[in-house]
Amino acid sequence: MTRLQINQDLKALNNQIAVENREKFAAHNVYVINIMGSPGAGKTTFLENILPKLSLELRVAVIEGDLATQNDALRIEKTGVQALQINTAGGCHLDAKMIKNQLSKLDLDVLDLLIIENVGNLVCPAAWDLGEDQRMVILSVAEGEDKPAKYPIAFLKADTAVITKTDLLPFIDTDVNVMKKYIAEINPKVQVFTTALKDGEYEADQVVQYIREAVRRKQCR
Amino acid sequence: MHETALMKNLLTTIEQVLDSHHVSRVNRVYLSVGQLSNALPEALSFAFEAMTREGRLQGAELIIENRPAVARCESCGEEYRVEKFPLVCPTCRSTSFIIISGEEVYVQSIDCEEKCPDD
Repeated sequence: MTRLQINQDLKALNNQIAVENREKFAAHNVYVINIMGSPGAGKTTFLENILPKLSLELRVAVIEGDLATQNDALRIEKTGVQALQINTAGGCHLDAKMIKNQLSKLDLDVLDLLIIENVGNLVCPAAWDLGEDQRMVILSVAEGEDKPAKYPIAFLKADTAVITKTDLLPFIDTDVNVMKKYIAEINPKVQVFTTALKDGEYEADQVVQYIREAVRRKQCR
Repeated sequence: MHETALMKNLLTTIEQVLDSHHVSRVNRVYLSVGQLSNALPEALSFAFEAMTREGRLQGAELIIENRPAVARCESCGEEYRVEKFPLVCPTCRSTSFIIISGEEVYVQSIDCEEKCPDD
Protein backbone atom coordinates (compact mmCIF):
# COMPACT_ATOMS: atom_id res chain seq x y z
CA MET A 1 0.00 0.00 0.00
CA THR A 2 1.18 3.49 -0.82
CA ARG A 3 0.38 6.79 0.87
CA LEU A 4 -0.01 9.72 -1.50
CA GLN A 5 0.23 13.19 0.07
CA ILE A 6 -2.36 15.60 -1.24
CA ASN A 7 -2.61 18.49 1.26
CA GLN A 8 -5.30 20.41 -0.52
CA ASP A 9 -8.00 22.59 1.05
CA LEU A 10 -11.41 21.60 -0.29
CA LYS A 11 -12.35 25.26 -0.49
CA ALA A 12 -9.14 26.14 -2.36
CA LEU A 13 -10.89 26.51 -5.71
CA ASN A 14 -13.62 28.66 -4.19
CA ASN A 15 -11.04 30.81 -2.41
CA GLN A 16 -9.06 31.25 -5.61
CA ILE A 17 -12.15 32.42 -7.53
CA ALA A 18 -13.03 34.71 -4.61
CA VAL A 19 -9.59 36.32 -4.94
CA GLU A 20 -10.20 36.84 -8.66
CA ASN A 21 -13.62 38.36 -7.94
CA ARG A 22 -12.09 40.66 -5.33
CA GLU A 23 -9.41 41.81 -7.79
CA LYS A 24 -12.04 42.48 -10.43
CA PHE A 25 -14.18 44.50 -8.02
CA ALA A 26 -11.11 46.49 -6.94
CA ALA A 27 -10.12 47.19 -10.55
CA HIS A 28 -13.59 48.64 -11.17
CA ASN A 29 -13.82 50.41 -7.80
CA VAL A 30 -16.94 48.48 -6.82
CA TYR A 31 -17.62 47.95 -3.11
CA VAL A 32 -19.25 44.60 -2.34
CA ILE A 33 -21.37 43.57 0.64
CA ASN A 34 -22.30 39.93 1.35
CA ILE A 35 -25.48 39.82 3.42
CA MET A 36 -26.19 36.72 5.49
CA GLY A 37 -29.00 35.80 7.87
CA SER A 38 -31.69 33.28 8.73
CA PRO A 39 -34.82 32.96 6.59
CA GLY A 40 -37.22 35.67 7.73
CA ALA A 41 -34.58 37.86 9.38
CA GLY A 42 -35.66 40.72 7.13
CA LYS A 43 -32.82 40.78 4.60
CA THR A 44 -34.90 41.61 1.55
CA THR A 45 -37.08 44.09 3.46
CA PHE A 46 -33.89 45.78 4.67
CA LEU A 47 -32.70 46.08 1.06
CA GLU A 48 -36.07 47.32 -0.21
CA ASN A 49 -35.85 50.14 2.30
CA ILE A 50 -32.20 51.14 2.10
CA LEU A 51 -31.81 50.90 -1.70
CA PRO A 52 -33.87 54.00 -2.51
CA LYS A 53 -31.70 55.97 -0.06
CA LEU A 54 -28.41 54.51 -1.25
CA SER A 55 -29.26 55.04 -4.91
CA LEU A 56 -29.60 58.79 -4.38
CA GLU A 57 -25.81 58.98 -4.24
CA LEU A 58 -24.51 55.63 -5.42
CA ARG A 59 -24.97 53.36 -8.43
CA VAL A 60 -26.12 50.07 -6.94
CA ALA A 61 -26.92 46.54 -8.14
CA VAL A 62 -28.06 43.48 -6.21
CA ILE A 63 -27.46 39.76 -6.61
CA GLU A 64 -30.15 37.68 -4.90
CA GLY A 65 -29.50 34.12 -3.75
CA ASP A 66 -32.48 31.86 -3.23
CA LEU A 67 -33.17 28.15 -3.39
CA ALA A 68 -36.01 28.26 -5.86
CA THR A 69 -37.84 31.51 -6.60
CA GLN A 70 -37.42 34.84 -8.40
CA ASN A 71 -39.48 36.60 -5.70
CA ASP A 72 -36.68 38.56 -4.09
CA ALA A 73 -35.20 39.87 -7.33
CA LEU A 74 -38.68 41.05 -8.37
CA ARG A 75 -39.07 42.84 -5.04
CA ILE A 76 -35.69 44.57 -5.49
CA GLU A 77 -36.44 45.60 -9.08
CA LYS A 78 -39.48 47.49 -7.83
CA THR A 79 -37.06 49.88 -6.09
CA GLY A 80 -35.56 50.68 -9.51
CA VAL A 81 -32.29 48.85 -8.76
CA GLN A 82 -30.96 46.16 -11.12
CA ALA A 83 -31.32 42.73 -9.54
CA LEU A 84 -29.95 39.37 -10.68
CA GLN A 85 -31.36 36.17 -9.24
CA ILE A 86 -29.28 33.07 -8.56
CA ASN A 87 -31.25 29.91 -7.83
CA THR A 88 -29.12 27.38 -6.01
CA ALA A 89 -31.64 24.55 -6.56
CA GLY A 90 -31.49 23.44 -2.96
CA GLY A 91 -27.88 24.53 -2.37
CA CYS A 92 -27.50 26.10 1.06
CA HIS A 93 -25.06 28.89 0.19
CA LEU A 94 -23.69 31.01 -2.65
CA ASP A 95 -20.13 30.33 -3.75
CA ALA A 96 -17.55 32.46 -5.54
CA LYS A 97 -18.12 30.77 -8.90
CA MET A 98 -21.85 31.57 -8.86
CA ILE A 99 -20.96 35.23 -8.34
CA LYS A 100 -18.30 35.12 -11.06
CA ASN A 101 -20.88 33.71 -13.48
CA GLN A 102 -23.15 36.69 -12.86
CA LEU A 103 -20.47 39.34 -13.41
CA SER A 104 -20.74 39.29 -17.20
CA LYS A 105 -24.35 40.47 -16.80
CA LEU A 106 -23.27 43.54 -14.81
CA ASP A 107 -21.51 46.62 -16.13
CA LEU A 108 -19.02 47.07 -13.29
CA ASP A 109 -17.77 50.35 -14.77
CA VAL A 110 -21.05 52.05 -13.92
CA LEU A 111 -21.38 50.58 -10.41
CA ASP A 112 -20.27 51.82 -7.00
CA LEU A 113 -21.89 49.19 -4.84
CA LEU A 114 -22.88 45.57 -5.33
CA ILE A 115 -24.96 43.94 -2.63
CA ILE A 116 -25.20 40.15 -2.54
CA GLU A 117 -28.07 38.71 -0.53
CA ASN A 118 -27.00 35.21 0.37
CA VAL A 119 -29.33 32.22 0.76
CA GLY A 120 -31.35 32.45 3.99
CA ASN A 121 -29.18 30.40 6.34
CA LEU A 122 -26.99 31.40 9.26
CA VAL A 123 -24.62 28.43 8.98
CA CYS A 124 -23.23 27.62 5.55
CA PRO A 125 -22.80 31.01 3.81
CA ALA A 126 -20.26 31.99 6.48
CA ALA A 127 -17.83 29.35 5.19
CA TRP A 128 -17.70 30.60 1.59
CA ASP A 129 -15.76 33.71 0.56
CA LEU A 130 -17.36 35.43 -2.43
CA GLY A 131 -14.80 38.22 -2.86
CA GLU A 132 -16.75 40.75 -0.80
CA ASP A 133 -15.40 43.76 1.12
CA GLN A 134 -17.91 43.58 3.91
CA ARG A 135 -19.78 40.71 5.52
CA MET A 136 -23.03 41.76 7.09
CA VAL A 137 -25.18 39.53 9.28
CA ILE A 138 -28.84 40.44 9.59
CA LEU A 139 -30.83 39.08 12.51
CA SER A 140 -34.20 40.04 13.88
CA VAL A 141 -35.07 40.51 17.54
CA ALA A 142 -37.79 37.88 17.01
CA GLU A 143 -35.13 35.18 16.57
CA GLY A 144 -34.15 35.40 20.24
CA GLU A 145 -31.30 37.19 21.96
CA ASP A 146 -29.00 34.17 22.10
CA LYS A 147 -28.92 33.65 18.31
CA PRO A 148 -25.34 35.00 18.08
CA ALA A 149 -24.16 32.52 20.73
CA LYS A 150 -25.82 29.66 18.85
CA TYR A 151 -24.34 30.62 15.48
CA PRO A 152 -20.94 32.02 16.47
CA ILE A 153 -19.12 31.44 13.18
CA ALA A 154 -21.38 33.77 11.20
CA PHE A 155 -20.61 36.54 13.70
CA LEU A 156 -16.96 35.64 14.01
CA LYS A 157 -16.59 36.32 10.29
CA ALA A 158 -18.84 39.39 10.16
CA ASP A 159 -17.84 43.03 9.86
CA THR A 160 -21.28 44.41 10.59
CA ALA A 161 -24.51 43.16 12.15
CA VAL A 162 -27.93 44.68 11.67
CA ILE A 163 -30.59 43.88 14.27
CA THR A 164 -33.96 44.27 12.58
CA LYS A 165 -37.57 44.57 13.77
CA THR A 166 -36.65 46.39 17.02
CA ASP A 167 -40.15 47.90 16.97
CA LEU A 168 -41.29 44.43 18.15
CA LEU A 169 -39.29 44.65 21.39
CA PRO A 170 -42.22 45.77 23.59
CA PHE A 171 -44.09 42.58 22.64
CA ILE A 172 -41.39 39.91 23.06
CA ASP A 173 -38.86 38.65 25.59
CA THR A 174 -35.71 39.62 23.70
CA ASP A 175 -33.37 42.09 25.41
CA VAL A 176 -31.55 43.82 22.57
CA ASN A 177 -28.63 44.77 24.84
CA VAL A 178 -28.08 41.12 25.71
CA MET A 179 -28.14 40.32 21.99
CA LYS A 180 -25.50 43.00 21.41
CA LYS A 181 -23.44 41.65 24.30
CA TYR A 182 -23.45 38.17 22.74
CA ILE A 183 -22.27 39.63 19.44
CA ALA A 184 -19.49 41.62 21.15
CA GLU A 185 -18.35 38.54 23.07
CA ILE A 186 -17.88 36.57 19.88
CA ASN A 187 -16.37 39.36 17.82
CA PRO A 188 -15.66 42.73 19.45
CA LYS A 189 -14.90 44.27 16.04
CA VAL A 190 -18.42 43.90 14.65
CA GLN A 191 -20.21 47.22 14.12
CA VAL A 192 -23.81 46.77 15.24
CA PHE A 193 -26.79 48.69 13.86
CA THR A 194 -30.52 48.46 14.47
CA THR A 195 -33.56 49.03 12.28
CA ALA A 196 -37.19 49.64 13.20
CA LEU A 197 -40.49 50.26 11.52
CA LYS A 198 -42.08 53.30 13.18
CA ASP A 199 -45.25 55.04 11.96
CA GLY A 200 -44.84 53.36 8.59
CA GLU A 201 -41.25 54.61 8.30
CA TYR A 202 -38.33 52.16 8.12
CA GLU A 203 -35.53 53.60 10.24
CA ALA A 204 -32.07 52.58 9.07
CA ASP A 205 -30.25 55.89 8.63
CA GLN A 206 -27.11 54.94 10.54
CA VAL A 207 -26.40 51.82 8.56
CA VAL A 208 -27.14 53.66 5.29
CA GLN A 209 -24.60 56.31 6.31
CA TYR A 210 -22.08 53.63 7.27
CA ILE A 211 -22.41 51.90 3.88
CA ARG A 212 -22.06 55.20 1.98
CA GLU A 213 -18.87 56.01 3.88
CA ALA A 214 -17.45 52.52 3.37
CA VAL A 215 -18.01 52.79 -0.40
CA ARG A 216 -16.36 56.21 -0.53
CA ARG A 217 -13.40 55.00 1.52
CA LYS A 218 -12.75 52.20 -0.97
CA GLN A 219 -13.05 54.56 -3.91
CA CYS A 220 -10.60 57.06 -2.36
CA ARG A 221 -7.93 54.45 -1.79
CA MET B 1 -25.30 21.56 5.49
CA HIS B 2 -22.72 22.18 2.77
CA GLU B 3 -20.97 18.88 3.44
CA THR B 4 -22.12 17.47 0.10
CA ALA B 5 -20.48 20.39 -1.74
CA LEU B 6 -17.26 19.74 0.18
CA MET B 7 -17.37 16.03 -0.60
CA LYS B 8 -17.87 16.78 -4.28
CA ASN B 9 -14.71 18.89 -4.15
CA LEU B 10 -12.96 16.05 -2.32
CA LEU B 11 -13.80 13.56 -5.08
CA THR B 12 -12.66 15.98 -7.80
CA THR B 13 -9.40 16.63 -5.94
CA ILE B 14 -8.65 12.93 -5.44
CA GLU B 15 -9.61 12.00 -9.00
CA GLN B 16 -7.11 14.54 -10.28
CA VAL B 17 -4.44 12.82 -8.20
CA LEU B 18 -5.51 9.38 -9.43
CA ASP B 19 -5.22 10.59 -13.03
CA SER B 20 -1.51 11.10 -12.57
CA HIS B 21 -0.82 7.85 -10.67
CA HIS B 22 -1.36 4.17 -11.39
CA VAL B 23 -3.84 3.34 -8.66
CA SER B 24 -6.00 0.22 -8.59
CA ARG B 25 -7.83 0.91 -5.35
CA VAL B 26 -8.15 3.68 -2.75
CA ASN B 27 -8.26 2.25 0.77
CA ARG B 28 -8.38 5.32 2.98
CA VAL B 29 -8.82 9.07 2.67
CA TYR B 30 -7.45 11.26 5.48
CA LEU B 31 -9.35 14.50 5.99
CA SER B 32 -8.69 17.35 8.44
CA VAL B 33 -11.76 19.27 9.57
CA GLY B 34 -11.34 22.57 11.39
CA GLN B 35 -13.45 23.37 14.43
CA LEU B 36 -14.76 26.54 12.77
CA SER B 37 -15.43 25.02 9.35
CA ASN B 38 -19.17 24.63 9.97
CA ALA B 39 -18.83 21.11 8.54
CA LEU B 40 -20.17 18.25 10.60
CA PRO B 41 -17.99 15.10 10.59
CA GLU B 42 -21.06 12.80 10.64
CA ALA B 43 -22.57 14.57 7.64
CA LEU B 44 -19.23 14.47 5.81
CA SER B 45 -18.99 10.72 6.39
CA PHE B 46 -22.57 10.21 5.26
CA ALA B 47 -22.02 12.21 2.06
CA PHE B 48 -18.72 10.41 1.41
CA GLU B 49 -20.35 7.01 1.79
CA ALA B 50 -23.23 7.94 -0.50
CA MET B 51 -20.91 9.36 -3.15
CA THR B 52 -18.41 6.47 -3.17
CA ARG B 53 -20.85 3.59 -3.66
CA GLU B 54 -19.45 3.37 -7.15
CA GLY B 55 -16.60 4.85 -9.14
CA ARG B 56 -12.90 4.99 -8.46
CA LEU B 57 -13.23 5.50 -4.72
CA GLN B 58 -15.64 2.64 -4.21
CA GLY B 59 -15.11 1.01 -0.82
CA ALA B 60 -12.71 3.67 0.45
CA GLU B 61 -12.82 4.62 4.12
CA LEU B 62 -12.91 8.25 5.24
CA ILE B 63 -10.81 9.07 8.30
CA ILE B 64 -11.52 12.47 9.81
CA GLU B 65 -9.17 14.31 12.10
CA ASN B 66 -10.75 17.21 14.00
CA ARG B 67 -8.49 20.23 14.15
CA PRO B 68 -8.80 22.85 16.86
CA ALA B 69 -9.08 26.53 16.02
CA VAL B 70 -6.25 28.88 16.93
CA ALA B 71 -6.42 32.63 17.52
CA ARG B 72 -3.55 35.12 17.56
CA CYS B 73 -3.70 37.98 20.05
CA GLU B 74 -3.45 41.29 18.25
CA SER B 75 -1.90 42.97 21.28
CA CYS B 76 0.94 40.63 22.28
CA GLY B 77 1.07 38.06 19.46
CA GLU B 78 0.35 35.04 21.68
CA GLU B 79 -1.32 32.15 19.86
CA TYR B 80 -4.00 30.26 21.79
CA ARG B 81 -6.71 27.63 21.31
CA VAL B 82 -10.23 28.82 20.63
CA GLU B 83 -12.38 27.20 23.26
CA LYS B 84 -15.27 29.39 24.28
CA PHE B 85 -16.38 32.92 23.66
CA PRO B 86 -15.49 35.60 24.62
CA LEU B 87 -11.89 34.93 23.56
CA VAL B 88 -9.40 36.39 26.01
CA CYS B 89 -5.63 36.20 25.54
CA PRO B 90 -4.19 33.99 28.31
CA THR B 91 -1.04 36.12 28.43
CA CYS B 92 -2.20 39.76 28.30
CA ARG B 93 -6.01 39.45 28.70
CA SER B 94 -6.65 41.36 25.48
CA THR B 95 -9.89 40.52 23.63
CA SER B 96 -8.52 41.62 20.28
CA PHE B 97 -7.70 38.62 18.10
CA ILE B 98 -7.58 37.19 14.63
CA ILE B 99 -8.41 33.58 13.83
CA ILE B 100 -5.37 31.95 12.21
CA SER B 101 -6.63 28.40 11.77
CA GLY B 102 -9.67 26.23 12.26
CA GLU B 103 -11.71 27.13 9.19
CA GLU B 104 -10.06 24.62 6.91
CA VAL B 105 -11.38 21.35 5.50
CA TYR B 106 -8.50 19.71 3.72
CA VAL B 107 -7.52 16.36 2.38
CA GLN B 108 -4.13 15.33 3.77
CA SER B 109 -3.39 12.08 1.98
CA ILE B 110 -4.77 8.83 0.64
CA ASP B 111 -3.71 5.23 1.15
CA CYS B 112 -3.97 3.26 -2.07
CA GLU B 113 -2.85 0.17 -3.95
CA GLU B 114 -0.68 1.02 -6.91
CA LYS B 115 -0.97 -0.91 -10.15
CA CYS B 116 2.07 -2.55 -11.65
CA PRO B 117 2.88 -0.74 -14.89
CA ASP B 118 2.19 -3.85 -17.01
CA ASP B 119 -1.11 -4.81 -15.33
